[in-house]
Amino acid sequence: MPGMNSGLDISNPAVVAAFKAALVHQGLIALFIFGLLGLVWITIRAGLPTAAAGGAGTAATAAAEPAWRRLLRIGFGLLWVFDGILQAQPKMAVGLPSQVIEPTATASPGWVQHLVNVGGTTWSYHPMQAGASAVWIQVGIGIWLLVAARGPLSRLAGLVSVGWGLVVWVFGEAFGGIFAPGLTWLFGAPGAVLIYAVAGALIALPERAWRSRRLGRLITAGTGAFLLGMAVLQAWPGRGFWQGTSHGQPGTLAGMTSTMAQTRQPGFLAAWVNAFTTFDEAHGFAVNLFVVAALVVTGTAFLSGRPRLIRPVLIGFGVLCLADWVLIEDLGFLGGLGTDPNSMIPMVLLAAAGYLALAPAPAPAAAAEPAGSPAVAAGWRDRLRIAAAPRTVASASIGSVAAVGAIGVIILGAAPMAAAQASPVADTILAQAIDGSSAPLDSPAAPFSLTDQHGRDITLASLRGKVVLLTFLDPVCTSDCPLEAQEFRQAGQLLGADDRRVELVAIVANPVDYQLGYTQAFDRQEGLDDVPNWLYLTGSPAQLAPVWRGYGIAAQIAAAGSMILHSEVAYVIDSRGRLRQEMGFDPGPGTAATKSSFAAELTDAAQQLLRQS
Amino acid sequence: MSRPRLRSAAAIAVLPAVMLAAGCAGAPATPAPATQAAPPSPSLNTSLDTAAGTWAAVVMGGSAAQDNNFWQLFIRPADSTRWKLVTPPGTADNGGLVLAGGGPALVTGFRPSQDLTFSPLIQTSDGGQAWSSLNPLDAALASAPDALAARPGSGQLLALLAGGTVQEAAPGNATWTVLVSQQALAATPAGRRCGLQALTAATFTPSGSPVLAGPCTRPGTAGIFTAGNGTWQAAGPALPAALAGQDITVSRLTRTAQGMTALLAAGTGPDASLLAAWSAAGHWTLSPPLSLHGSALTSASFGPGGTAAIITTANRGQITTSAGSSWQPLPPLPPGTATLAPGPGGTADALAARGGTLTVWQYAPRGTTWAKIQVINVPIPYGSSS
Repeated sequence: MPGMNSGLDISNPAVVAAFKAALVHQGLIALFIFGLLGLVWITIRAGLPTAAAGGAGTAATAAAEPAWRRLLRIGFGLLWVFDGILQAQPKMAVGLPSQVIEPTATASPGWVQHLVNVGGTTWSYHPMQAGASAVWIQVGIGIWLLVAARGPLSRLAGLVSVGWGLVVWVFGEAFGGIFAPGLTWLFGAPGAVLIYAVAGALIALPERAWRSRRLGRLITAGTGAFLLGMAVLQAWPGRGFWQGTSHGQPGTLAGMTSTMAQTRQPGFLAAWVNAFTTFDEAHGFAVNLFVVAALVVTGTAFLSGRPRLIRPVLIGFGVLCLADWVLIEDLGFLGGLGTDPNSMIPMVLLAAAGYLALAPAPAPAAAAEPAGSPAVAAGWRDRLRIAAAPRTVASASIGSVAAVGAIGVIILGAAPMAAAQASPVADTILAQAIDGSSAPLDSPAAPFSLTDQHGRDITLASLRGKVVLLTFLDPVCTSDCPLEAQEFRQAGQLLGADDRRVELVAIVANPVDYQLGYTQAFDRQEGLDDVPNWLYLTGSPAQLAPVWRGYGIAAQIAAAGSMILHSEVAYVIDSRGRLRQEMGFDPGPGTAATKSSFAAELTDAAQQLLRQS
Repeated sequence: MSRPRLRSAAAIAVLPAVMLAAGCAGAPATPAPATQAAPPSPSLNTSLDTAAGTWAAVVMGGSAAQDNNFWQLFIRPADSTRWKLVTPPGTADNGGLVLAGGGPALVTGFRPSQDLTFSPLIQTSDGGQAWSSLNPLDAALASAPDALAARPGSGQLLALLAGGTVQEAAPGNATWTVLVSQQALAATPAGRRCGLQALTAATFTPSGSPVLAGPCTRPGTAGIFTAGNGTWQAAGPALPAALAGQDITVSRLTRTAQGMTALLAAGTGPDASLLAAWSAAGHWTLSPPLSLHGSALTSASFGPGGTAAIITTANRGQITTSAGSSWQPLPPLPPGTATLAPGPGGTADALAARGGTLTVWQYAPRGTTWAKIQVINVPIPYGSSS
């Protein structure tokens, strides 16, 4: 999928170090947010003791949170926090689009791949911001769910969980693979994070819904219908689940588990998964029959909505999910790029919540409002008035304060990503990860007198007054030079109006194919023939050799059918003809993200000099 | 489903981007350039006889998919029995080399590969010791051993491009101009009579007129055309009645001192056969047909005095030594034989490549085996094009 893969090594030390640094910086800011909020809360409460007492009193008047909701809120809150921590693994910043998202989407239809590619490309252009935002958004949602037990803030946490869950389900899980062949409940259908979203929707329900047994019936019936559907899918002939092996190869399920066993993980776990694979290969029909039967029994029991029937079945279903989680899903989060513990834990949480919801929540006590608590009696508009702010803060519970802190953490993650995403240009970290940081210089640039692609004589002195971005390109190079030319071309576009004050200059780095016909053919090939500030300079070998020497460029003829070996470097020359920066210019994998990153690096360097001049 | 139940983290801000992308992703379709449906040509592994000696282009190295195939050029100078490596410098040649002999000079075209889209050209006049670049072609040369032709003595060049257009460069090679396209040639009276499907070869007559060739849809017709009197005229041989119902493809066409030599593939499948055709003073002579027994041509080469040698997919070699003579089977070819270099008097060298080693085997007329005469180790620059 174009754009999704930045092409960098997922363990690239520069990127990993930058990712860690970003997380540490943002982590400190998160701590500061919580610390500041806590300090403000404590200070105001100390100054307004009556308001603080009134705020405490509100807790006694509200309806108790039903067990099913507490289970979902705490369970999925912990899952979101855990998933956020998994996102902080070092390989995530570069590895997630290419190693996780892209393979997940590969089996899906073209339109799904296209959609997923949009998100993956955005990530690969801004890996630091994207990686960090995933961490803080998920940690923030998790904390928010954990600390906000009731009220609008709690419901809002559920809605945010739905929103983010759907974003992840579409862009990260390619719709949970529901449009791909091989879909099976055993392996996580319909996508773990869709269950997160369903749980979030239930958490977001108003309090009046808590008191109805109808909700419990709806949850169990929905779960039951889903499991029956999964049973049908599992039993469907021709999908390979009834066979342990096929033509000497592992069947569908055994193939999946044998692949999972190759993940880096503790030996005993791999041994268990391998043992199950072997067992399934030998008894594929029996395994699938058991799974289908278990899903049918569980689904039917849940569909009945009868607690006495559901309770024992739920216990068995929990055991089945646990076995599936360990032996088939292989815990889901190992290997350095696992993003969550897969679907079985959320599935069990949802099923158990449905069972608990069959018992109605107790009605709220009709307690009298405590005296002297105007903040409680006041509506939201009143509480948001600036004049009422101190009283509102003082009356807030510690959970509400922590929830506000969690919202701050989410914004902390989302804001930089949103800002980065607004730019179509990749971060310069990708270029620096490939070639290292540029070296500052301050020395006269070597003079040259050469011929441009139009046959005009060009000297370095004739370019005085302009910033010069200079590189050396072989016009018949088949790999790197075309990429480098595109990076220059993109840099020219990024400069916008500033491009009138910048010359994009390349000098031929080929002692054989140096004639004008070659520079012109190269320009046409790269679409540079209509770029007004592009100069591709050449000359005879006798003219080119001293220029190469002056800039430390090696351009050697290599034998036996290979291209010219030449240095890949770019220079930034200021308007007075002085060298100001030297950049490594090996384009690396040449993906859309890295090309954009090099272009951004060139543009930054030119604009820095323009600002100084 | 694979491992990851993932947290992608396209941020919340991704959603607007999706909507934006949905609004601008659909670029209007542009019509694709018309391309010829070229029949399979023999590979670019071939040899060529010029006044300077015999040249051979052979692919060596490793996998083409990994850009580790490197084409090498060898020469056996006219005054020597030894081959030497003379691959032209300066350009990665993973796309293949196309040779054109013009008197003592040899023009070599580089088919583009990877991100290169035009075709560099280079020339030597001293047997490959010194090379000088020529003005490049602004498009890809066709993947056919006769895609490039040089007119001896004049410096005039003819190039068949991958899209079916033929360009010519006047002496001095300052600019390339379009001579004709396959579609335009097919629309001429001669082209219509043939039902020209594609172009497979370009050369010059001894008098310097461009000649083009390709397969015809009209059975029994050899699609060879020469420019004259402001239009294109059929110039191919009249074929025997036995081939009247057969589809004819001009697989190879080259200029000789006396005229031209062509290889014509007749029919398809198990009934396919091959004929050599020689022209002199406007008169064509045909070899008896050689049944290919369902195999296909993998390499074809021309030698001095109208000799031609071929290799088929069955790894069998055949040679014909003079105008009108029949095909003679060669002994089983040495393993890895990429091409044959027919010499005078029915001799032939087999050039076998394995990795970076070229082994030259020689066959003497009426011999029963090949004799190893030379081994050349070529320093293949693995990985240099990736």
